[in-house]
Amino acid sequence: MAHFNSQTLLVFATIIFAASVFLHLTKKNTSAIRLYIVQSAAIAALLLASVEEFSPLLIVAIAATVAVKIFIAPYFFVNLTRRLDLKFSASTYMNTPMTLLVIAGLLALTQSDFFAPLSSLGRPGDRLLQLAFGTILISFLLSINRKGALSQILGILSLENGIVAFALFAGLEQSPGFQLGITFNILIWVVIATVFASMIFRKFGTLDVTRMRKLKD
Amino acid sequence: MDTLTSPTLFCLALACFATGALGALLLGKKDTAANVVGSVLAIAGAAIALIFSGAVLLEGTTQSFAADTSFPLISLSFSVDRLAAFFVLVISAVALLTSIYALGYVRHYYGKYSIGVLGCFYNIFIASMILVVTAHNALFFLIVWEIMSLASYFLVIYERREAASIRAGSLYFIMTHAGTAFIITAFLLMFREAGSFDFDAIHTGLATASPMTQSAIFVTALIGFGAKAGIIPLHIWLPSAHPAAPSHVSALMSGVMIKTGIFMLIRITLGLLPEVHLWWGLTVLVVGAVSSLLGVLYALSEHDLKRLLAYHSIENIGIILLGLGSALVFSSAGMNTLAALGLAAALFHTMNHATFKALLFLGAGSVIGATHTRNIEKYGGLIRLMPQTALFFLIGSMAISALPPLNGFFSEWLTFQSLFQGVTGFDVVTKLIFILSIGALAFTGGLAAACFVKAFGITFLARPRSNAASQAKETSPLLRLAMAAFALLIVGLGLFSGMVTRVLGEVAGDMAGLESAATPGSTPAGSAQFTTVSLLNGFAEISMPAVFAGIVTAFAAAALVFFLLTRQRTQAVAATWDCGTDLTPRMEITATGFSRSIITVMQGLMRPGSETEIEYHDANRYFPKTGTVNMGLNDIYRSFIYRPLQVITTTIAGYMRKLQSGNIHAYILYIFLTLIGLLAWLNFQS
Amino acid sequence: MNMTTIILWTIQILLVPALAPLFIGVTRKIKARLQNRRGASVLQPYSDVWKLLHKDEVISRDASWIFRAAPYLIFATTLVIGASIPLFSTALANSLTGDFLVVVYLVALGTFLLALAGIDAGSALGGFGSSREMFVAALTEGGLILSLLTLALIGKTTNLAGIATAIGSVSFTSFTPIILAFISFSVAMLAETCRYPFDNPATHLELTMIHEAMILEYSGKRLALMEWASANKFLIFIAIGANLFFPHGIADSLALGPVLLGLALFAVKALLFAAAIAVIESSTAKLRIFRLPDLLFTSFVLSVIALGLVNV
Repeated sequence: MAHFNSQTLLVFATIIFAASVFLHLTKKNTSAIRLYIVQSAAIAALLLASVEEFSPLLIVAIAATVAVKIFIAPYFFVNLTRRLDLKFSASTYMNTPMTLLVIAGLLALTQSDFFAPLSSLGRPGDRLLQLAFGTILISFLLSINRKGALSQILGILSLENGIVAFALFAGLEQSPGFQLGITFNILIWVVIATVFASMIFRKFGTLDVTRMRKLKD
Repeated sequence: MDTLTSPTLFCLALACFATGALGALLLGKKDTAANVVGSVLAIAGAAIALIFSGAVLLEGTTQSFAADTSFPLISLSFSVDRLAAFFVLVISAVALLTSIYALGYVRHYYGKYSIGVLGCFYNIFIASMILVVTAHNALFFLIVWEIMSLASYFLVIYERREAASIRAGSLYFIMTHAGTAFIITAFLLMFREAGSFDFDAIHTGLATASPMTQSAIFVTALIGFGAKAGIIPLHIWLPSAHPAAPSHVSALMSGVMIKTGIFMLIRITLGLLPEVHLWWGLTVLVVGAVSSLLGVLYALSEHDLKRLLAYHSIENIGIILLGLGSALVFSSAGMNTLAALGLAAALFHTMNHATFKALLFLGAGSVIGATHTRNIEKYGGLIRLMPQTALFFLIGSMAISALPPLNGFFSEWLTFQSLFQGVTGFDVVTKLIFILSIGALAFTGGLAAACFVKAFGITFLARPRSNAASQAKETSPLLRLAMAAFALLIVGLGLFSGMVTRVLGEVAGDMAGLESAATPGSTPAGSAQFTTVSLLNGFAEISMPAVFAGIVTAFAAAALVFFLLTRQRTQAVAATWDCGTDLTPRMEITATGFSRSIITVMQGLMRPGSETEIEYHDANRYFPKTGTVNMGLNDIYRSFIYRPLQVITTTIAGYMRKLQSGNIHAYILYIFLTLIGLLAWLNFQS
Repeated sequence: MNMTTIILWTIQILLVPALAPLFIGVTRKIKARLQNRRGASVLQPYSDVWKLLHKDEVISRDASWIFRAAPYLIFATTLVIGASIPLFSTALANSLTGDFLVVVYLVALGTFLLALAGIDAGSALGGFGSSREMFVAALTEGGLILSLLTLALIGKTTNLAGIATAIGSVSFTSFTPIILAFISFSVAMLAETCRYPFDNPATHLELTMIHEAMILEYSGKRLALMEWASANKFLIFIAIGANLFFPHGIADSLALGPVLLGLALFAVKALLFAAAIAVIESSTAKLRIFRLPDLLFTSFVLSVIALGLVNV
């Protein structure tokens, strides 16, 4: 984190965290996708900031990350929504107040001693790790709570962003090959997930998981 | 002597088996060639292994050799100490003779099934058994153990068009793998203490293990290896698997494969674990007593010849475990001399059982081949049509009933003597268990004799009970040669039991932790020469040659005297007294009827039942046409042990199914909860 | 190996077969007297053997060599046992065949061959005679072996002559296990020698036969051998009972005086035993076959108790 000071880092961490919270609150596809783009941009900036030494491989890795997360994946999603004329199913298992309560509860957990082993990885009094971990938990909640398939995909992607942020803040080893690998993984996953989602939509007419009864029975 | 005990010879034997397996498989289309190649190479391999193991046994040094592989944790290491050499000796002797038998017997399968497959798996089976007892690395041991189980599985389902064979094979497969799971648990527990899979490292590593770990290893090893050995209640695979295999394979499975379980039990309890606890020995004693009694009682109720013999294997494993159990009890009390005695008794009975059980299975194979049925109720009068087979079967029956002067009597005598020592000098519970074990052994001997009077008498004596039996013919000379060799071995082991005891005493002494005896021919437990075996400073003495000579002399004297006294009397041949009716086979005693009285006495244990089917001439059911009464036993193991296990497992699986809702949100929720749970646990740990 | 030793050894070997029919005769005589009859002379069994040896034989055509050879083998086993047990002097002990397990299993060998011979002729009666015989024999083994084991543990040896020597000098505290073992042994003895309440040795009804059913097809010299072997077994069990449980007076050397005393006392003890057996036979009824296991298990349990009481 040589190039940024702690204030800037806190700003980026907050952006990432807020994006995951707002993902819970959106009602439209496009805004969800835009939130994801914002989050990924913040991650890319953090990666750039973490570069200790200059190496071409690292630049390639970061470029690839930017390309996949900010351009290719959202392009796929937008295509998906447009092709299938997807009405974002905003239905959730828990209604909005309950969701916000759970989010608050999770945040309290991250602040408490409960996660002391994890927070001891970074500097004490540092809110960065807590925010990143909060992102992780809230993205999990997104996947669990939302019924639509697109929000699940976005939830997993946001989870991945949160994990990368956590690793960066904890100062864990970041080899360029590592990043490249994750990026490649995400690319393939996005492709497959969109294809799968379109197939399901064609069969069932909806991406709402609770409406898909025939397969289960 | 060095060449005889060198690893080269050992590898040569294994190479013979490998060539035999491959050759038989390649020649699969040509029946005779495949059979000859498979059997002759098996004979060669067995002979070489026999020489090798005999030399190691007599010389007394441990041969170890290893080949490292590039995989971590596993190395192809062998170690042939005296115990392993003894077991290799038994395996190769039995394999040698059954291969001779196979040369003639496999002709039954020409044109029906693939002979190449039979030869291939047969050779792999024998080779894997030899490898099992010589492996010195736990992972390597597990690999060859699995190979042995798989090879025997394929041999059990060899007659694959019979539905019963497939069922038997499936049951065997499941039970042997359940046992292997326990064995793996035992080895993993050992690995945790020792950090390596090598047996030497395990031995040193276990020296510091806690008693809880040691007991856990013992229990899992007992269950795992006991499932292979066939102790009650893990025996349910034995009575269906042994009859389903071809007869020479049944002889091998019953005679030697189940003994590999005993070998590893001895190796683990007396070799690897640093000390023996008292309750281990008592458990083994109880298991042995129950297995022997129940095994012989179930055998009494059978009228399928091979199933009867399979149940007798369970009984004899029980007797071997009685010897082993007493050795463990004495070892836990520090009485190493008596422990050596008990172990020597167990080892002797292992060898004896291998010989007479193999002989009986080979005889059964001949009889079944000649009459094409396994049902004893259809036999009869075969002693006139198959005289040599009858004679050898009689010798086998007398040996297994522990009648002097044959070898079975001597090993039971040794087992008795080692159990006698346990009645005094221990606390009340141990004493009572020893007394009841002696009682169990006494009853087993009597019941086994009853069972073999039935088996031999109804099969061979009196009149034929069916057409098949009246048209039987004596088998080919090769089969009779193999059986004759076994019969000679039985008589020889009985006659020379003194010398065999001396060798076994030294083997047992090594395992029981005794220093080598000061004078040859005597161990601290007693002295054993050709003429007499004397135990424990004259507490018990016996001379098998004297018993043999006594019987023979008395017989000759009586025959001579009475012949001289009555040489002017005539002998007329006439029909048996028929009570005024026609003399039919229906007048003779049936196998079911013979043993039904004993079963009725034990009905609480045995749960006999009978089914009656009557076919009527007319719809009003006044005039019966035929009636069948089927008297059998209800299987209490299936109903009380295995069925409840199955029901519990399926119920739990049904409940678990509710977790699998098919809803992806639920699955992600599970992941989330697990994550939180792990973090919390981590928190509590630190 | 001087002359006296040879003579005494010959007596040891021939005593049992020579005297066995006499004791059968004595038992029958006492039973007859108790039934208010005069009864045959005590030497009648000898006349029976003589008569049978002078008769021709009829052998079933379904019988095999086992039927022909069994009588000789069974008689041979009784000869070997008879020579191995202490009769009148423990100096004639042999450690080669004198182990009590050898004796028990030689008896089992005889039973095995007898049962096979019963099945061999294929008659309706021999078969179930064998079935019943094996039924009783299998259940008797436990009580028999354990009762003799009690004595062996008290005497600290399993050699029969050694037991006899040791029991002769045993202290009073060991008396209880010896008595219990004796009761157990007597039940086993009645079972093995085919006496009431197990079997009726004089029956002619097939439904009540055990031993008689198996030898039904025998005639002539082989029947003589079978009857004689059965008599030998009777005397052997009496001798074991008398000399192991009450060995007082048995000679411990080969000197003339003790030997004569030993012979006389042996005759007296055996006669007492035979009389006791005759009285038991006359006062009990033959039990139904499915009642016999109760009796045999009782014998087993008594031996277990006796063993528990042996303190070494």
